[in-house]
Amino acid sequence: MVDAARHPKIDVRTYTNVERVEGYVGNFKVQLREKARHVLADRCNGCGECSKACPIEVPNYFEMNLAPRKAAYVPMSQSVPLRYTIDEEACIHCYKCVDACGALEAIDFSQEDKVVWEDIGSIVVATGFNHFDPSVIPEYGYGRYPNVITAMEMERLNNSAGPTTGNLIRPSDQKNPQRLAIINCVGSRDKRFNPWCSNFCCMYAIKNAVLLKQMNPELEISIYYMDIRTPSKGYEEFYDRARSMGIRFIQGRPSLITEDPQTKNLFVHSEDVVLGKISELEYDMVMLNQAAVPQPDVDTVSSVLNITQSPGGWFMEYHPKLRPVDSPTDGIFLAGACQGLKDIPSSVSSGLATASRAGRILHSDEWEIEPIIAQVWEDRCVMAQGKVCGVCSRACPYGAIVIEEGKAASVTVAKCHGCGGCVAECPHNAITQMHFTDAQVLAQMRALLADRPEEKIFAFRCHWCSYGGADLAGTSHFDYSANERGIRVMCSARMDPDFIYEAFRLGAGAVLYSGCHPQDCHYITGQRVGATRADRLQKLFEKLEMTSGRFRIEWISAAEGDKYSRVINEMQKVIDNIPHDQLMAEIERLRPEMEKRARRMYETPGVDKALVYSDEMVQAITAKEVKSGA
Amino acid sequence: MEHEKGSDLRDLLIVLPGCEKLDMCFSCGTCVSRCPIQQKIEPAYNPRRLLKMIALNMQQESFTSITPYLCSACDLCYSACPQEIHISAVLNGVKKLAMQAGFSTPLKTARVDALTCVGCGFCEKVCPYQAITVKETNVPLRGKNLLIAEVDGAKCMACGTCSSICRSNSIELQDRENSEEVVQDLWSWLETVEMGAEK
Repeated sequence: MVDAARHPKIDVRTYTNVERVEGYVGNFKVQLREKARHVLADRCNGCGECSKACPIEVPNYFEMNLAPRKAAYVPMSQSVPLRYTIDEEACIHCYKCVDACGALEAIDFSQEDKVVWEDIGSIVVATGFNHFDPSVIPEYGYGRYPNVITAMEMERLNNSAGPTTGNLIRPSDQKNPQRLAIINCVGSRDKRFNPWCSNFCCMYAIKNAVLLKQMNPELEISIYYMDIRTPSKGYEEFYDRARSMGIRFIQGRPSLITEDPQTKNLFVHSEDVVLGKISELEYDMVMLNQAAVPQPDVDTVSSVLNITQSPGGWFMEYHPKLRPVDSPTDGIFLAGACQGLKDIPSSVSSGLATASRAGRILHSDEWEIEPIIAQVWEDRCVMAQGKVCGVCSRACPYGAIVIEEGKAASVTVAKCHGCGGCVAECPHNAITQMHFTDAQVLAQMRALLADRPEEKIFAFRCHWCSYGGADLAGTSHFDYSANERGIRVMCSARMDPDFIYEAFRLGAGAVLYSGCHPQDCHYITGQRVGATRADRLQKLFEKLEMTSGRFRIEWISAAEGDKYSRVINEMQKVIDNIPHDQLMAEIERLRPEMEKRARRMYETPGVDKALVYSDEMVQAITAKEVKSGA
Repeated sequence: MEHEKGSDLRDLLIVLPGCEKLDMCFSCGTCVSRCPIQQKIEPAYNPRRLLKMIALNMQQESFTSITPYLCSACDLCYSACPQEIHISAVLNGVKKLAMQAGFSTPLKTARVDALTCVGCGFCEKVCPYQAITVKETNVPLRGKNLLIAEVDGAKCMACGTCSSICRSNSIELQDRENSEEVVQDLWSWLETVEMGAEK
């Protein structure tokens, strides 16, 4: 930290909030609020005279409130930068600190919060985690029994720079405890509080036990655990070492802690799972190894940076295996535990990975993006005609579409990831997606449904999941109907209702609407946009009395090749079960309705050319069929 | 190992209300240590082991285990369980299945003396497990269509609340008598004899 502060190219801003973030990858504009310290940073030399003179004492949050600090303070002696701060809430304005500072004149009570805008190339989020408050678990008595402490309090008590200079004492009578219990999984692996495993607490408990045992070999330490998880290099060996040092491991989650009111000793009630018997052992002190939870302000950070959260409140990575430190928003990266719980080695690796990912952007003059992006036809956008719309902007998971009254919607190209949600949602067909224009998709559909369309199963597959699923079905040689005709679009969000209408108008026997599972979508909420639309279509087709099963919605991942082949085979059965003349009659009956609904597609630019081209294709295909038939 | 689906003890139990999270148990032992029964009454009592036996489809062992019969459904364990398993519902389910399979409770259950019961319904009101209902019954030697309390042996947890409130000392915790069926058979035989005589 000290090295970072001294580095000429690193600017450490402490006591500063990020309030707004605008712009896009490489060109962010960030609004910072530098909170008033009431100490001039360039004059303060960190001598600490103000703190000595200050008469006010408040609990020091850095010492887990086990020791006091002054109203003029640094949280700890190694603080970077070593500049004192005057705590406005605690200060009584006696100005003794001003006198103590003397000729340095570093204290300035007139200072106010400063708001500054900075140009930023890339952003790294490293907000870490918070500690679970065990006082909400009444059976462990934290807060009621003085000798029940948390892991962080233990951390301060056995730290040589802590309030007791490393002398482990119990809070009730300041005596050294002889028997210590450590309870794991307090608030984690517990559906009532946090369902996740907090990752590092097993090793943390063992580390603390070994450390305390080394300092005081007389101390009896028991660790209560449900499972000991030691998956990294050298961890299991460390666990062995702890056992050989005489640390007792008791398998069983304690259900209750009670206190002897006279001695303030504690009784831990648990079942020794191995013996199947209840044990009620007496201890001088109990340490609760509490769960790690997300920071309380993750929602604010999420909304400021436009990054999403996984269940539980950890920031969502772009891809859990392949892009673990990228956020879904380009140019914003996630380091350490804010993305998911990590121990120190993993946090360091994640930090190094993040630095190199962020550095790539800073070191390049130009930044390549995927060419598949949305583009607005300004003459077709009704916003330009002064009407109120904004449907596209609401569908965009990345906030890439800017709408202003009286102006056509505009796409911030660097923010667009090319899911095509806006394209399909636009009721006026005023947006298109490069490489997946309506004209291109239409041409593909016409060619694939040229010959005997009523026998065909037309599948829309999303690029990331169901296309992969279909591919896997093929490479794994899973049998599925040869009548399947599939095309690729980037996301289920791109599957325009017009495409479905057009497919049925062209006489398709059945249409499959497939994409990623909701939690796997590569475009944050793209699948959700697509799923809502698909449900709407399903209801419409029910109303139009289409045979059920001719339009089908399935979420198929890239690993589900068997599911893809099963779905296609089931759809084939649906078509087979309808008598041919009845199917033809239904297609004919629905054709005018479908034509009416798909009409806007034919108004979009480029479609006329596509029609000419696909007509040629259709002719060629039919000619070939006739020839081979003859 | 091939077996008929749905025949496992676990499959039979998981469809019962309250037993949905049966599979979630990771054997932490909180339920056992939260419960007063193992320490104060019966060392063999262990709901955690019963859950494990269910998972391993040990039907015979589960049905003969003392655990389902001793639970009083106070639900201290339910509020402490980190996996939110409604353990008393599972134990009750095992008890019900055991009864259906012809096992009987090794414990006492409340039993009504039909000759003295006045059908006041106090016991029905106080029973915490809704095991008692007052029904119109034909009582031999006493009369027809009398209101008499009746105990559902599968629901009774032998708490004794009913016998403490009964004004006529007609309901008490008693061992399950095997002679019950014999007496029942005797009466039905007598009835047929009577009917034959009338004819």
